Amino acid sequence: MLRVSALAFGYDLNIAGIGDPSIAIGVPGGNHLLALVDATMAGSPDGITDSQRAIIDELGPESLVDAASVFGNFEMMNRVAEGTGISIPAQAIDRMKDTIDKLGIDSLQKS
Amino acid sequence: MAHVFEFKGSPVPIRDDLKDAYTRLWSHLAEPGPTLTGTQRLEIAAHVRMARSGDTPQPNDLPSSLLTLAATLFVDPSRVDGPMVLQTTEAVGDPMVVEAISIASMLSAVDGAHAALGADLEPLPSPLVGNPTDEITRGLKRRHTHVPMPAGAIPIALDLLPSVGKAFRNSFGPQYMMEHEMASADFDRTPGLNRAQIEIVSSRTSLRNKCFY
Repeated sequence: MLRVSALAFGYDLNIAGIGDPSIAIGVPGGNHLLALVDATMAGSPDGITDSQRAIIDELGPESLVDAASVFGNFEMMNRVAEGTGISIPAQAIDRMKDTIDKLGIDSLQKS
Repeated sequence: MAHVFEFKGSPVPIRDDLKDAYTRLWSHLAEPGPTLTGTQRLEIAAHVRMARSGDTPQPNDLPSSLLTLAATLFVDPSRVDGPMVLQTTEAVGDPMVVEAISIASMLSAVDGAHAALGADLEPLPSPLVGNPTDEITRGLKRRHTHVPMPAGAIPIALDLLPSVGKAFRNSFGPQYMMEHEMASADFDRTPGLNRAQIEIVSSRTSLRNKCFY
């Protein structure tokens, strides 16, 4: 859905940025959003503050709330997926093969 | 009286629909569940928080395998696999395992958002009195999954326990998108993030959690 939504907004998405946040991802504020996720997962107060400030400056205060809530939502979804063992349908994996290859995440597939 | 979320330390004001969603999750956590009392559910929540912070958990009477599974899921979800879940279901049964998975997962949502906002973690609610409800869907089977569930995608993954599955789904809208909005590639929460920006956060979070879903 990231590729499709980037197209819908006319962004020149570089999907490799998801795997390597040092790469410009091509979506407004996108690298600040990546930095917030990383800083939060690292438990880095300075990193959180810096990325928050950048998000507020570039995208507005409401966007920081959205970023935090989406992060929380996927903390939950990932745990439901791992705990219950629900897997992505094979046809969806086929559809995303290009992205999977670019990010090198084929090893994360579980049965 | 409903718990009030303060988001103390957040640099920005929080939308009311998100506060309301977390208030509902807190009420859900405090209520008797299908297999556990409100007190037991909050003991699991407190246990997993302590496992993450490195503090010594308070002793309780819950099965150790259940606590270990919940704590592992909360702290490092990629370490949870089929054998670990099946070992726990053999000890306590599928419904209790699904209930513990839901508690660790929903708490991750609330604590995760607070962490990203730089806000203090919200104290856990007080438990509500009552016996487990025994509201469990009968006849479901495993579908190459660790626990029984209906056919479908992740929104129904907890539906062995209908009230839990409903609470899970009801949290999506304010945190991410309503289910009918998820089909829209051009969804835009003005003011706020658009769909592409939302999916950058979701993709990076899943990648960091080593979760393919």
